Amino acid sequence: MIEKMTPRQGARDAGDRLVADQASENPFAAAFKATRMPMLITDPHQADNPIIFCNRAFSDLTGYSREELVGRNCRLLQGEGTDMAAIARLRDAISEGRDISIDILNYRKDGAPFWNALFVSPVRDAEGTIRYFFASQLDFTNIKSKEAELARARHIAEEEVAERTADLTEALRAKTALVHEVDHRVKNNLLTIASILKLQARMTTDETVGRTLMSVLNRVEALSTVQRKLLNDEDVGHFDVADFAKTLIVDIVSALRRTDIVLTTDVHEVVVPATKASPLALIINELVGDAVRRGLSQSGGEIHLEVRRLNGHFLIRVADTVQPVTVDPEEEAFGFKMLEACCRQLRATMERRVTGDRTEVVVTLMVKD
Amino acid sequence: MKVLIVEDEILLAMELESEVEAAGHEIVGMAADSREAIALVEAAEPEFAFVDIHLLDGPTGIAVGQSLALREIPYVFVSGNVKRIPNDFAGALGAIEKPYTMNGLQNALAFIESYVNGHQPVLSPPPSLLLSPALGTFSGDAVAEPSADRP
Repeated sequence: MIEKMTPRQGARDAGDRLVADQASENPFAAAFKATRMPMLITDPHQADNPIIFCNRAFSDLTGYSREELVGRNCRLLQGEGTDMAAIARLRDAISEGRDISIDILNYRKDGAPFWNALFVSPVRDAEGTIRYFFASQLDFTNIKSKEAELARARHIAEEEVAERTADLTEALRAKTALVHEVDHRVKNNLLTIASILKLQARMTTDETVGRTLMSVLNRVEALSTVQRKLLNDEDVGHFDVADFAKTLIVDIVSALRRTDIVLTTDVHEVVVPATKASPLALIINELVGDAVRRGLSQSGGEIHLEVRRLNGHFLIRVADTVQPVTVDPEEEAFGFKMLEACCRQLRATMERRVTGDRTEVVVTLMVKD
Repeated sequence: MKVLIVEDEILLAMELESEVEAAGHEIVGMAADSREAIALVEAAEPEFAFVDIHLLDGPTGIAVGQSLALREIPYVFVSGNVKRIPNDFAGALGAIEKPYTMNGLQNALAFIESYVNGHQPVLSPPPSLLLSPALGTFSGDAVAEPSADRP
């Protein structure tokens, strides 16, 4: 009586024959069975290239018993997350009889996925005909999940950086807007103060009141020019004394409308912190104002302005040659008082030399580089 | 010159008015928002205008300037934030930065007058007037243009 052979029976028989071919003391067969590396052999001469033999380690890895595996094609390990392109490469290698090493997502019997570093190699007989395929597996899920963890951590870090950058950009925008707003209000207030002084000066019939108001206006306007010249963009809170001084002296001297005034300047950029701007501006304003009072506005003359660094010092020199006229002593005393206060504020020294019609004032102070 | 003042701070507008009048000019209109200003550009036929950029109805001074430029009426911006002025100055002659000084304003006005009168300007632009790049550079003898020589 001949039993009809099922395909699974055929695979089992092929496996048995393979084992029977090996002498029981064959150390290679023993190693194959005992190794901790999951391994299997398939028979391409049977329909659908079934597993005909697999070791204990392979059963442990996949959760299938040897009985469940023999006679089945290896695709039973595939699942929904398995990359179809990888499967196609594997199939092509087998049909072309080539070795292939490929990473593939497989599934255990209980449905749990694992990353399989699969190696498949044909086994040929003495004539070179392919008899079997040998496959070994390596579960590298841990490595893969560490990679994913790293990628996730990096992603979170990147998100945090993006968020912080957005916060900082917004904070900077708000700060810039605030600086501009405050700057705008200060400018408007200074012009409003000047307008109030001018309005009252225009309305008064008392000459002394008018002169006093214009004297205050003159100092307020020096501060207005400071506010206009403060560097509030790239270099917040800094001030170029030379630029200010030149603007101030040209404004004052041009407005005198005298063709007999010779103005010369020798100014070099000196940038100081904004806190020093106002007293410095008032000093230059007083020095020029003094020359104007002593005769520049009446009979013309020469006036020279020098602003420069000198041996770690910062030097302002105003020299004039005028036909002296009588100066209101109160006004002159007030001007000197202003100069004295500003010099003390800056710890600056002032030296004033008068020789005939020529007056020279040198103010020096320390500046940090 | 017949001058239009566009400024939303009334006190500043009043003081500017008296400065301009003291220099011998006639004020033909004052406006605090762009609607008033543009109506005056048409009705008052100014020969020159001072235009603040931020008006009662927002940063509309630029639009006022454009309507002046369209009629070829010379004008300057008067603003605390000259960086807000477009690169082409919207056809303005230049800008006077706030807070201007009395001297600075008078010097700017003298230069503007010589320019508007159509003569080759005899004055150099004063530091108080930031010229539009479209005007190029002026050469002329200043009342008190400083030289780099020592006395």
